[in-house]
Amino acid sequence: MIDLIHTYWLYFLVGQYPNGPLGGLALTVLLAALALVLALPIGLLLGLARVSPFRAVRWPVTALVHVVRGIPLLMVIFWAYFFLPGVTGHQTGQFSTMLMALVVFDGVYLAEIVRAGIQGVPRGQFEAARALGLGYPRAMQRVILPQALRSMLPSLVNQFISTIKETSLGYIIGLTEASFIAAQINTQVFTRATQVYLLLGLTYFVLCFGLSRIAHLLERRLARRAPVRAARPSAAVPLANESNA
Amino acid sequence: MRNRLRPLLAAFFAAAALVSTAHADQLDDIRKKGEIVIGVLGTDEPNSFVDPASREIVGYEVDIAKAIAKKIGVKPVFKQLAVAARIPELQQGRVDVLAASLTHNKERESQVDFSLTTFVTGQKVLVKKSSGITDVPQLAGKKVLTVKGGTQEPNIRKAVPNVDVVTFETTQQAFLALQQGKGVGYVNDEASVVNDFAKLGPAKKDYTILPTNISTEPLALGLRKGEPALKAVVDSTLRELESSGEANKLFIKWYGPATKLQFDKRSFKIDSDKI
Amino acid sequence: MPRFDLALMLHGQYHDWLVTGLFVSLKLAAVVFVFALPLAIAIALLRLAPLRVLRALGMVYVEGIRNVPLLAHLLFWYFGAPELLPDAVKERLYAGNFEFIAGAIALTLYTAAYMAEDIRSGIRAIPVVQFEAGRALGFGFLATMRRIVLPQALRITVPPLISQTLNLWKDTSIATVIGVAEMMYQAARVESASFRSAEAFAFATAAYLTVSLAITGLAAWYHRRFPVRTI
Repeated sequence: MIDLIHTYWLYFLVGQYPNGPLGGLALTVLLAALALVLALPIGLLLGLARVSPFRAVRWPVTALVHVVRGIPLLMVIFWAYFFLPGVTGHQTGQFSTMLMALVVFDGVYLAEIVRAGIQGVPRGQFEAARALGLGYPRAMQRVILPQALRSMLPSLVNQFISTIKETSLGYIIGLTEASFIAAQINTQVFTRATQVYLLLGLTYFVLCFGLSRIAHLLERRLARRAPVRAARPSAAVPLANESNA
Repeated sequence: MRNRLRPLLAAFFAAAALVSTAHADQLDDIRKKGEIVIGVLGTDEPNSFVDPASREIVGYEVDIAKAIAKKIGVKPVFKQLAVAARIPELQQGRVDVLAASLTHNKERESQVDFSLTTFVTGQKVLVKKSSGITDVPQLAGKKVLTVKGGTQEPNIRKAVPNVDVVTFETTQQAFLALQQGKGVGYVNDEASVVNDFAKLGPAKKDYTILPTNISTEPLALGLRKGEPALKAVVDSTLRELESSGEANKLFIKWYGPATKLQFDKRSFKIDSDKI
Repeated sequence: MPRFDLALMLHGQYHDWLVTGLFVSLKLAAVVFVFALPLAIAIALLRLAPLRVLRALGMVYVEGIRNVPLLAHLLFWYFGAPELLPDAVKERLYAGNFEFIAGAIALTLYTAAYMAEDIRSGIRAIPVVQFEAGRALGFGFLATMRRIVLPQALRITVPPLISQTLNLWKDTSIATVIGVAEMMYQAARVESASFRSAEAFAFATAAYLTVSLAITGLAAWYHRRFPVRTI
């Protein structure tokens, strides 16, 4: 196993770079980070729409959320792959396709996290803000959202972990991320399949488990900071808060 | 008439289609950009593969593509594609030319245009000697392994009507599955099969390539439909390579006696795009 | 330009391929569910066991499985793990529909890890006095769990479990990478053969959505019929 690591570590880490596009683990992390950063504003908008008092805003977004969560991420990727160029008029590579698919998919899941975060802020805060003369948007922006976002931090880190795992589906459209590179290495060494895939699993484990420990720490620090928070009993959410790709 | 888009129900897509059908000649676009994007497999030795030492993409088709880029006077940019993605990527304009072991057949002629045939091969089946199979018809009812989205699956099904086919994302996954015994046969273009056979090294003695070709595969470069200027340049470059003897040299370099494939000489010439 | 022609997918050869794929997806999801649920209960109990070693074992399982993508699991169980078996066993295994078996194994282990966490939360939601009362009556750990705690816990756990089932249904699509001939595999196959990506994927999307909405509907029905009781 050691000589496997010794020969291929650079290829697994960065793919063909700089002789070609970036690949491997570096691509995985970059793609996941970028997807999450871009999905956040979308998630925010969709989440706000989900709690909006206007039915005309709430219903279509709820429908969209149910549709996107009802189909596999792979399906979203295939749609993006075949039809995105027609929609955007742009030539999109595998990276952009994967990015778009992840942004749409994660945006919808983030919308639920945002919704839960907003509904977790005690209603009194909102009422006090309105009583002080702030309109709905200002109340949201100045009072509710900052509190909501702070409490959402552990969920956001968990979503980042999910996104890292979701990038593995890039394998199927030929994106040279970590799993694809591992499979390529495997076909070059033939007889060490168990070791190669074990190493792949280990790499993901170290990355994701490390991040989940950070999420755990964040949760503890937040609990310490605000021990008394009358959490509003949100409607029992029958849908999971994170995808487990 | 460009076949870039698949119309959907929404008028939105129809509008986008109308917008994008108005554009200039592809060859001019390439010259303006200063680079030509070439779709390759990067996993099909020796047509296009990643050299482990330099981590660059090299191969027979890669060299041909480089010659074309030089003729046009632009930089070649190579993009790795999955087998199943080749035609969609070309049609959607993500690559300009396909140099990806693309078989020229009648079904595909409605989707893409082809250059002069650059290579002629058959498709063959690799089996383990222990399976006791000596020719293609004996594969009836057995499981064969190949790649998704190519001509391999339709061809083997045509050759052996009740064969069981399992396809994978890449040819190497399929080959690995054969080695592990998950199926009795591995189907691919003859050159790829011979190359994989050679890669087995000492384990070669446990395998055999079935003698019958299940199809003849003329490979050619793929071009978008309705681009006469680009096709003219590509074909003329190919003719020049052939007449100068360079094409034969490339064949010997990648397929000749000094390589794993050990073909003695070419059985074809690069002179026609008819099949 | 080819017009969108759904009729192509409603009869004929392509339709047959797609429907076969749908049935394989359903079969895979059903088989995995049947095996994952008992395994999940076992893991949840492991994580709550009185012995520290058992608790650690449970945690290693859950964390080890959940932090690795399903794709990597599938590749491992299809290409990696079985190679360690002796040749005779391997040959017998590969002679069958090993793609399905490996997919089922990977999905079962993966889904069980997530379900175990939901079940564990459900168990912990039951006031600990129930457990203590059971022990006081002379039942051992397992008997207390089986007779007193689990029946109460499972009712609370049903909504999250249903959402895990939804995830399971969607995850079956990833089995395409190890050659399981399920819905996505067949949709891609139809696309290669006919060059009609819109129709093929529309069919697949509709199929996934229908079953997903049915599962979600089940959750909503359950929520209404058996609301969470608080003592």
